[in-house]
Amino acid sequence: MDVSFQAHTATKKVRSDSASVKMLGIPLFVFATAFASLSIIIGLIWDISWHTSIGRDGLLSPPHLGMYLGAIVSGLFSGYQVLKTSFWGSKEVKQRSVRFWGIFSGSLGALFCIWGCFAMLTSAPFDDWWHNTYGLDVTILSPPHTVLLLGMMMVQFGAMISVLAMQNQTIPAGLSALQENKRNRLLRTIYVITSGFFLVMLYTMASEFQSRHDMHGGTFYIVGGLLYPFFLSAIARSSKLKWAATATAGVYMLVLMLLAWMLPLFPAEPLLGPILNDITHYQAFDFPLLLIIPAIAIDMIMQRKEENNKWLLALMIGPLFVLLLLAVQWPFGDFLMSPYARNWFFAQESWYFGSNPDWEYRYAYAPWMVSSGWPLIKSLLIAGGISILTTRLGLHWGGWMKKVMR
Amino acid sequence: MKYIINPVRLFILFLLVLSPAYAHVGSPGVIYEGEAGPYRIMVNVNPPDVIPGTATVQVYVTNGGVEQVLLKPIYWFSGADGAPKADEALPLAASPGQYEGLTWLMSNGTASIEVKVSGELGEGTALVPVMAMSTAQKEMDPALGWILGALGLFLVILMITIIGVSVSDAVVPPGDEKKKTGHRKTKGMVVAAAFLCLILYGGMSWWNNWAEDYRRYMYKPYQANTKVVTTDNGRKMIFEIDSAYKEYRQNYLPISYLIPDHGKLMHMFLVREGSLDAFAHLHPVRTDSLTFEVDLPPLPNGRYFVFGDIVRGNGFHETITDTMEIMGLELPVSLTTSDENDGWQPSDPDDTYIISNPVLPNQVQLAAGDIVVCGKPGIRTPLPDGSSAIWEHEGESFQANRLYPMTFSILDPDGEPAELEPYMGMMGHAVVMKHDGSVYIHLHPVGNYSSASQDLIKRRMEDDSRLVELPSADQFRDSVDQVVASIKAMSEEERNDYLMELMGHTYEEEENGEHAGHATVTFPYAFPEPGNYRIWIQMKRNGQVLNTAFDAVVE
Repeated sequence: MDVSFQAHTATKKVRSDSASVKMLGIPLFVFATAFASLSIIIGLIWDISWHTSIGRDGLLSPPHLGMYLGAIVSGLFSGYQVLKTSFWGSKEVKQRSVRFWGIFSGSLGALFCIWGCFAMLTSAPFDDWWHNTYGLDVTILSPPHTVLLLGMMMVQFGAMISVLAMQNQTIPAGLSALQENKRNRLLRTIYVITSGFFLVMLYTMASEFQSRHDMHGGTFYIVGGLLYPFFLSAIARSSKLKWAATATAGVYMLVLMLLAWMLPLFPAEPLLGPILNDITHYQAFDFPLLLIIPAIAIDMIMQRKEENNKWLLALMIGPLFVLLLLAVQWPFGDFLMSPYARNWFFAQESWYFGSNPDWEYRYAYAPWMVSSGWPLIKSLLIAGGISILTTRLGLHWGGWMKKVMR
Repeated sequence: MKYIINPVRLFILFLLVLSPAYAHVGSPGVIYEGEAGPYRIMVNVNPPDVIPGTATVQVYVTNGGVEQVLLKPIYWFSGADGAPKADEALPLAASPGQYEGLTWLMSNGTASIEVKVSGELGEGTALVPVMAMSTAQKEMDPALGWILGALGLFLVILMITIIGVSVSDAVVPPGDEKKKTGHRKTKGMVVAAAFLCLILYGGMSWWNNWAEDYRRYMYKPYQANTKVVTTDNGRKMIFEIDSAYKEYRQNYLPISYLIPDHGKLMHMFLVREGSLDAFAHLHPVRTDSLTFEVDLPPLPNGRYFVFGDIVRGNGFHETITDTMEIMGLELPVSLTTSDENDGWQPSDPDDTYIISNPVLPNQVQLAAGDIVVCGKPGIRTPLPDGSSAIWEHEGESFQANRLYPMTFSILDPDGEPAELEPYMGMMGHAVVMKHDGSVYIHLHPVGNYSSASQDLIKRRMEDDSRLVELPSADQFRDSVDQVVASIKAMSEEERNDYLMELMGHTYEEEENGEHAGHATVTFPYAFPEPGNYRIWIQMKRNGQVLNTAFDAVVE
């Protein structure tokens, strides 16, 4: 690697752009995409709360605007970055970018953000047509919503990749040792923050199978084993932070908890009938899963055994993740059903306005929600097996992310 | 001579707009004319053709200083307490007295719009029944299809590109441009393309499943089989509702739960196809939960449109359509309605029929004695009993989707306003049909909603339970059959008094109200689409039902 060449260009860049010095050589684009990721998450969780509390949807409802703001910010910053690099960028700048379609150059993160922005914008007329054709669906997963979710995920992933590329590149010269440390800390922190936002998105997509009523059923653990070990292993491997998976799970929990505490502070009234549950304030979205516990285990294993065979690592992390999820969420499910969880902190009194508040299983597991005996063991074995595969995949993906430099 | 032409109606003539959808046949808009407490109002509801969706509601208030008009959707399923807060209908600056607003209909089923008017005269409410059902399967507009297709293609190409560079350029340290990564890029792009094809295929299957599900739960009217059998007492029509439809409707209220409307379990209309020169309004009797029978009047041979209007126990008002052949002996066709001469003994005292001229001049005129010659708007038309009818309208043509006050005046043989009497609790009944049968609707002077639906929702609103419970189907059917039989057994005067009271007004009130003088009857209606229409009007004078018909061209 031509380190001197890189150092030279980076110094030139830093000296020529005083704003960059202030941000420790981290372009504004990285902060903008991280903001876009947060804006999308707030918009999404607010939108779910809006549907369970107010119900009446609209293309330009305030939560939708939050999501669109994320799309626009990431799209504009990324688009600008790609166009600037492609047509006005110096040779050196272009050499720090990926080239595509013969004429364009830009960072990989920007490309993901542009894709996400276009997908989100495509989903708007598609969703509008969908509502006019099949009715105003009250579901998270529908084809146009999936296009939107994929778009949002790509914007969020673009934010993660943008930070990673910075992290993986050589530190630009011209920074003092203190600044270098600060820069490293900042990049590592932004990376786990943007990863935490992404984890909120993953959870939200799967939330129809992850509510408190699902925590005693086998499907909960299969879905959990499919998603979280994959993502958390990838983060643990790609981040240079020691406790990356733990911090990511912590950010995920904090975001969901903050939203669960803040949204019910605002008044809301159902605007659609039939109304079976009279409410006066926003109903909170779910209390987060206690993913921080299995995440600690992932970090501990990764700290000690990262250099081991990746299949061996997956064999350790996968089943352990499912066991820890079971050990934590099963009793936590009981707790969430108990009167102790019916307070502002755990927000378990939240209830969709169209559901009967006197339903006998509002705070209890109905027989059909509980797996036991062989079916439970079978589900856990499946979850464990899937978890091994997804962990292996996550480690591979994390290995790739570790290498992204542009 | 005293013709009552409400200036409000004439005004609305040019204001209100409807669009096509369901309920009855091809004529979805719901029109209400009546009172909201001290206010006289006309309401025009244009329900959505996809549920959940929004209904457009137009309200015209003709008296009192109005301060606010509120609209609230109330479902029979969850009652008044389960309704959201009302939305305001805003005044239209260009049209004093007219208000317009949107109401959200979230679930399928029997709903209603509560219109609340407040102002100088105090507060008043009116309830307009609306049947909330998805009735349309929409196709994507080609322009939108191309735009979405192009965006989709762009997204696919961009994603293949991104994955290609992700595994090649992106992992090459900056400055190390000599490293050859072309084969990795190609491999990545091929894998990405294959993976995206799988995703797109999965997405397409998902979309198709979604559309299939939507079609499954879309509103489909009941199907029926109609046949004519000859008995010792003449010809009898048997109308059998297709039981196979019960299966798809398992989520809804079974057909056993029917309630009477205007005292009858079914209002059936027969119209001879093609010439539209034979028309009957009959009231079949239920023999079991799916079968209805009625004695046929002496109608000429031919193929007939059959329309059966029913109201289910949850207030859902719908029309079952079929066609039937009347074959065999040509019976003497000589009268416009039942009397001693034709020997027809109707199975219900309110059954009537009419023979008129065919719709097209080149069609053969039936050889009947008292043929009613169909009138045209604005032209005085003689009736068989010596009286005459006139449709108060200037010019002959109408615009589609515009609300018209179809006002008909009856003059006695001396040319004086006739004294009309109520017929089945109403001052008049009308049927509007497009020549090809694609539009059919049964109208009353109060609008085109079902009084039975309205009454049921009013009762539901008095009940403060959130969810409703019904008795068993057998119990329900038996008690309804008893009520219908007892109404049928009443004398005509008793029956009229009973039905008018049920609908919340009396004949005496009508004398002082809009129908004062009882010489005119107005049916508010908007033709949903252009074409040629025939309108049959049924009113009563001197104890005899006067059937007349008019032709109209809608542009």
